[in-house]
Amino acid sequence: MKLREYEAKRVIKEYGIPVPAGFLIRSADEITGHIAELGDKFVLKAQIDVGGRGKAGGILMADPATAVAMAKELFNKQIKGLPVKEVLAEQRLEITHEYYLSITIDRSSKQPLILFTEAGGVDIEHTAKENPQAIRTVIANPLMRDIPPFLLRELLGTAPKEIGVIVNKLYRVFVEKDALLAEINPLVTTPQGVFAADAKIIVDDNALGRQGFTVNRDLSERERDAEKYGFSYVELDGAIGVIGNGAGLTMSTLDLIGFYGGKAANFLDVGGGAESERVMHAVRLVASVPSVKVIVVNLLGGITKCDEVAKGIISAGISQKVIVRLAGTNEAEGRAMLLAKGYEMLDTMDLVVKKAVEVTA
Amino acid sequence: MIYGDKKTGVLVQGATGKQGEFHINLMNTYARQVGGRGVIAGVTPGKGGKEVHGVPVYNTVKEAMRNHDIGASAIFVPAAAAADSIMEEANAGIQTIVAITEHIPVHDTMKAIAYARMEGCSVIGPNCPGLLSPGELKMGIMPAGLFSRGNVGVISRSGTLTYEVVDELTRAGIGQSTVIGIGGDPVIGQTFTDVLAQFEKDPQTKAVVLIGEVGGNLEEEGANSTNLPIVSYIAGISAPPDKRMGHAGAIVEGGEGDARSKIARLKKLGVPVASRPSEIPEMVRELFRGC
Repeated sequence: MKLREYEAKRVIKEYGIPVPAGFLIRSADEITGHIAELGDKFVLKAQIDVGGRGKAGGILMADPATAVAMAKELFNKQIKGLPVKEVLAEQRLEITHEYYLSITIDRSSKQPLILFTEAGGVDIEHTAKENPQAIRTVIANPLMRDIPPFLLRELLGTAPKEIGVIVNKLYRVFVEKDALLAEINPLVTTPQGVFAADAKIIVDDNALGRQGFTVNRDLSERERDAEKYGFSYVELDGAIGVIGNGAGLTMSTLDLIGFYGGKAANFLDVGGGAESERVMHAVRLVASVPSVKVIVVNLLGGITKCDEVAKGIISAGISQKVIVRLAGTNEAEGRAMLLAKGYEMLDTMDLVVKKAVEVTA
Repeated sequence: MIYGDKKTGVLVQGATGKQGEFHINLMNTYARQVGGRGVIAGVTPGKGGKEVHGVPVYNTVKEAMRNHDIGASAIFVPAAAAADSIMEEANAGIQTIVAITEHIPVHDTMKAIAYARMEGCSVIGPNCPGLLSPGELKMGIMPAGLFSRGNVGVISRSGTLTYEVVDELTRAGIGQSTVIGIGGDPVIGQTFTDVLAQFEKDPQTKAVVLIGEVGGNLEEEGANSTNLPIVSYIAGISAPPDKRMGHAGAIVEGGEGDARSKIARLKKLGVPVASRPSEIPEMVRELFRGC
């Protein structure tokens, strides 16, 4: 789950990384109480859960005279279709240089990867393409508490030494906050010292509980509902609902829909050993999406009992057509139950998907 | 076959839990069918002295090791304790560790895998279905009924998708040497590269089916590392960016690891890539015709 900028900055500040003086406001009038502390130049940043907010008009410059008007303007905006409910008002820094610093997970070495470039402030992916030698990386050992000085020298080159201290502080954030990504872009030098002008933290969804989060904000309401039943659910925009067991098989079913020229409405993985009640909830959940015209159920496995699945599909009692492919324990019983109720059963995933595409064409 | 055979004695951690108990029974049913040793010891802290389907349970891995000749293990303990279980087994000297557990926080996995590497042992998973070598060894949760013995190795990041492919292969008369699920998390122990290196040393394995997913570039890395003939399939061509498709590892981040570019890179390496699972058997046959 991605933290909002003000949350990420609050976290790194706790770990001793300097951030610009700033205040979170929830209405334009609230800014008047903070003008004295913000100085004569400041910036208003919409706190929304989408990227590319600067280009979409979510960041405005202000001063004491224009503060309230600018804040009003921002609160009245929709940024990429989202209303602005929170604004971070922040002191504007006198920047002498911008750097980029991030810590992420390197799948290949299975260890944290620290990335630094003196060409910061811009799109890092752009730099990686245009000027890859400007990016320096080192791999950290997850069994060590700190980044040793020799690695810091490799990483930072001739950049100011105080940045080394920041790297180690950000590494503590990365480890202790269960981050998949901890990024400061830009990390800036000013006459007053080094500051994190922007910060981004993505927390591992598997660690949200121990990090004290009860809700995953990255999920839509229906996705959260699905999570309660233990489903993995992603909403897409087609007409064919999909229920599978296992992430790979479900993804593959979606791909096959595309292969035959159809469009999937969702990804729903019911998980292993699904009982009738969970299958029923899965079918109802997918059927509740207005765009769904037909539902493909593709279940395969040793633990999943086909008669339980059949019971679940039948008891869901939905109006849309359900096309089923079932293989596994008690296959014959499940098949007989569904056929008796008039459900369409086909033998392979190619066949069920082809049929569903025909129905929606 | 790789990572063990009939003679491998298996330890199960989390032996007295619902999952552990259920799968000890299935693993030993398979072991009896093929004349293997199967699961010979279990571990659950505080439950030492109990038995699960006739398998003795110990409080610690070291205690089990003192009493049995153990070559490999399967971990069924809950996510919060699973990384600790991996380290306990590595420390006790178990060579091959299969971590079935899903939802382990990735920082725990990174530490456990770094620790296991230091102790010189191989971790398969986490968040994986384990492995099955037909006629030899079932270590994990794969449904044995679909498999047949032969000379094609299968490596996959998924569970049920692997069963789908194995089912297709078996129906087409193509048997398997070892089928291994390496796990759906962003950080896993044995990668495609590591498993392919094992397959290269295995005289039984003549070709490999590599089943990948969106996210990362471990599939390409693996394909680039081996001389074995490979057929590949990549799931997730329809996966939207920044959405995790069930597996924590199946996520397209910042344009990295999307299926189309992954498939393009594999094809550039000369690897045939199936556009759907049902094409795989014919493509494997094609490989053998070329040999």
